[in-house]
Amino acid sequence: MSDNSNFDAIIIGGGHNGLVCANILARKNKRVLICEARKECGGMVNNEITNYVPPVTTAVSSSLGGMQVNYLPKTTIALSETGQHIRLVGNQHIDHKSISTFSSQDADRFNDFHEKMSKFSKTLGSFMMASPPRIMNNSFSDYFKLFKLGLNVRLLGKKNFNEFARMIGLNIADELEDNFENTLLQGLIAHDSVIGSNLGPRSPGSLINLLYRMAIHNNSLFGGIFQIEGGNDQFTKHLIEKCKSNNVEIKTSASVKNCIVEDDCAVGVELINGEKVYAKKIISNVDPRSTYFSLLGSQNLDTDVKRKIKHHRSKGRVAKLILDLNKLPSFNNCDDIDLDSRMVVAPSIDYIEETFNPSKFDKLSLEPTLEICVKKDSDQNPKLDIQVQYAPYKTDQGWENVKENYIESIIKIISKYAPNINECIEHKKLITPDDIELEYNVSGGHWHHGEIQIDQLFMMRPIPGASQYKTHMDGLFMCGAGTHPGGGLTGISGKNAAKAVLDDF
Amino acid sequence: MTQDLRYSALKKTPFHSRTSMASRTNKYYNWNGYTVPTEYSTTELEYTAARNGTSVMDLTPMGKYEITGDHAHRFVDYLVTRDLSEMKDNTVAYIIWCNEDGKVIDDGTIFKFSSTKFMLCCAVKIYNWLNDSAYGFDVSISDVTDTIAALAIQGPTSCSTLKKFGAEDLEKLKPFEMREYKIDGFDILISRTGFTGDLGYELWTDPKNAEATWDNIEIAGKELKLRPFGMHALEMTRIEAGFIQTNTDFMAAEDSLRPTRMRSPYEIGMGWLVHLNKNSYFVGKKALKKEKEESTTERCLVGLDIDGDKPAHGSVIYNSKKEDIGIVTAALWSPIMKKNIALASLKRPYGIKIKENIFAEIYHPEELEYRKIWARCKVVKRQFFNPERRNKVPADLYE
Repeated sequence: MSDNSNFDAIIIGGGHNGLVCANILARKNKRVLICEARKECGGMVNNEITNYVPPVTTAVSSSLGGMQVNYLPKTTIALSETGQHIRLVGNQHIDHKSISTFSSQDADRFNDFHEKMSKFSKTLGSFMMASPPRIMNNSFSDYFKLFKLGLNVRLLGKKNFNEFARMIGLNIADELEDNFENTLLQGLIAHDSVIGSNLGPRSPGSLINLLYRMAIHNNSLFGGIFQIEGGNDQFTKHLIEKCKSNNVEIKTSASVKNCIVEDDCAVGVELINGEKVYAKKIISNVDPRSTYFSLLGSQNLDTDVKRKIKHHRSKGRVAKLILDLNKLPSFNNCDDIDLDSRMVVAPSIDYIEETFNPSKFDKLSLEPTLEICVKKDSDQNPKLDIQVQYAPYKTDQGWENVKENYIESIIKIISKYAPNINECIEHKKLITPDDIELEYNVSGGHWHHGEIQIDQLFMMRPIPGASQYKTHMDGLFMCGAGTHPGGGLTGISGKNAAKAVLDDF
Repeated sequence: MTQDLRYSALKKTPFHSRTSMASRTNKYYNWNGYTVPTEYSTTELEYTAARNGTSVMDLTPMGKYEITGDHAHRFVDYLVTRDLSEMKDNTVAYIIWCNEDGKVIDDGTIFKFSSTKFMLCCAVKIYNWLNDSAYGFDVSISDVTDTIAALAIQGPTSCSTLKKFGAEDLEKLKPFEMREYKIDGFDILISRTGFTGDLGYELWTDPKNAEATWDNIEIAGKELKLRPFGMHALEMTRIEAGFIQTNTDFMAAEDSLRPTRMRSPYEIGMGWLVHLNKNSYFVGKKALKKEKEESTTERCLVGLDIDGDKPAHGSVIYNSKKEDIGIVTAALWSPIMKKNIALASLKRPYGIKIKENIFAEIYHPEELEYRKIWARCKVVKRQFFNPERRNKVPADLYE
């Protein structure tokens, strides 16, 4: 390894995990450089891509010396065409009341269901916050971690243990249909189980997706959904300020061409402009596929690693429609406070499943599942920020040929709930998964840099053998959403990676 | 050659009309989906031809892969453990390749035509492995097993036979060199390579030319003690030469079910083919480096000189305390060495530091009863038979 390293660590990609990782390293007196390809740091955490966020954990916050951002809790509304919406806030009594207007049986069952799911998500959650164990390591601490998970699951008691085992591979639709009679409530919970993923409500494994989501959202179905005061980019701004005070150097518009490998060890990066920078540790905040195939290059990888990375599933299925408005549309049976809520269009499980079906064949569904967020732009003009589930990564006809049609079909759906929407629209913009791929350098345009499914979780995230933030190349680490636990604006990946890097110094 | 494969489980090689005519025993076996003879007349006779005259073997079923493209040289160097960065055109190299754990998948030979064209030959099928390894390299890989007919022409009079067949100046060809000939209007590639540990060549041509080639070589070798030989005779010669056979002397890493049965190159005597100081990365380098640095090699593959004359097939090897220290992977009574020899996989330090006081328990079958023999063994060089004529340039010629 070169001894004349200018930096202790170089972080490739200034997304939020990279910023978290950089700050933690800098707080331990390491000289850190962040190379960001775009004009500004923050990655996908900005006001355009991110609508709702989970709260940052105290562990992450304290390792950064405190986070001064305010989280505003958000109500979730399942929109109904008849105007009989369900409003849920994550408070047992309020939620019970809201659901009992439709079905008192569902309201009671919701509480039981929530309690059970919450218990299981806590069990998973204890495992999620730290670096996952690696079984092949034969290290005591790794076995202990695994033992602890086993113990936590076993301590649930025999009945719950059996229930947990039953649910791990289950699809969410079966579970919801067993519990609830109201299709709108079923649709809402199913929506949150499959959001951002490549699964339909009837796909096996969609239930664990929900547990995973709950684990980072306060172990609650609807009580852990927030927006950051002043816009989600406040999170990034705050981290960048911290970088400045911690003397982290940030280079923007500095796209990394590849990792410099010397003597089978990553020792630096080469930028697109030919500039070479060396450091003792290189940390990639880029998605796993690009980290391996673009930064390291095929010639530095074992065949089996290539096979694993090729199997890594990272095709995004979420598009974003942004409607700039001249005035706020009026949603049926909604008041002003409702417009400040998270509005979900997923009237039933079957509706979602039918949206999902065409996406399997790279086709568009003209009745997509939506999550609508009302925002204000910098001039205080209102806009609708709509998350469109199951927009295929590539369409068989080519996105450029179908975009217009797709936008109109989404607006048509919204008009069922807000009849005057068409009068309010000034400007429309659709961001497809392949737009995200191009703009944010994320292969597949996947939010989480890779599917959150059972074969890509825990010690298998992103791939077996690279699960503890280390890659297969000495000196190269990963800190992005592609690593455990991945997904959501939590910074846990960045924090855990920083620990792995510090342990390696 | 197109065949109607609907009614035949096994394919026939382009030489089949000739090999089946030569067969006096009707003994065949399945090699990579082809039917080829294990024995034509008697194995001993065929062995004798290989050591004293010329032996001809149908090599067509051997896995043959053409690797072409701008990155062909880089890719081949990445695939194998040996440093091939300086490999010259028209030469052949013996190679092994490993998986990511540094365990051997197979051994074989690589033929370099130019920096953009190579051919890889090996015993088992590895098309998937090659393709998956090639991801990210500008190369294309095609399985040419069916489209190239191959013969092994081995033995002390093999050079003379091929010269009479039309290969001019063949005696000047050095070991591990190859040359392209045009004989009777067909392109024929001849390489000085082989699996018998003797002077010998391998011949590669179009399947359409197969039968004529067989006939003409038979005519050319008539006075030079030429004989077709089968797999059993080849097995004898390769053990004498100390060559290893995949799935016999070690389990191919991609085939073995039990992870503990996989072997690193250091465990099968192939450490000399691993160049850890190679500039670029190769598959398995990280694991092999670790094994070398931490000295975690567990086994070794050695040659054994065993007392008595009863071959130690499958024998368990013991130390003086009667502790199990390994197993014989291949054995025979060597007619040319007049020795009872074997290849054995031993647990280190046996075979490396401890070479004496080890014993083979031989069960010798005698008409439905076994005679149990406790035979003393000596660890010796694996290359039992290595005649001077093997590497001599110019090669020996006979009238």
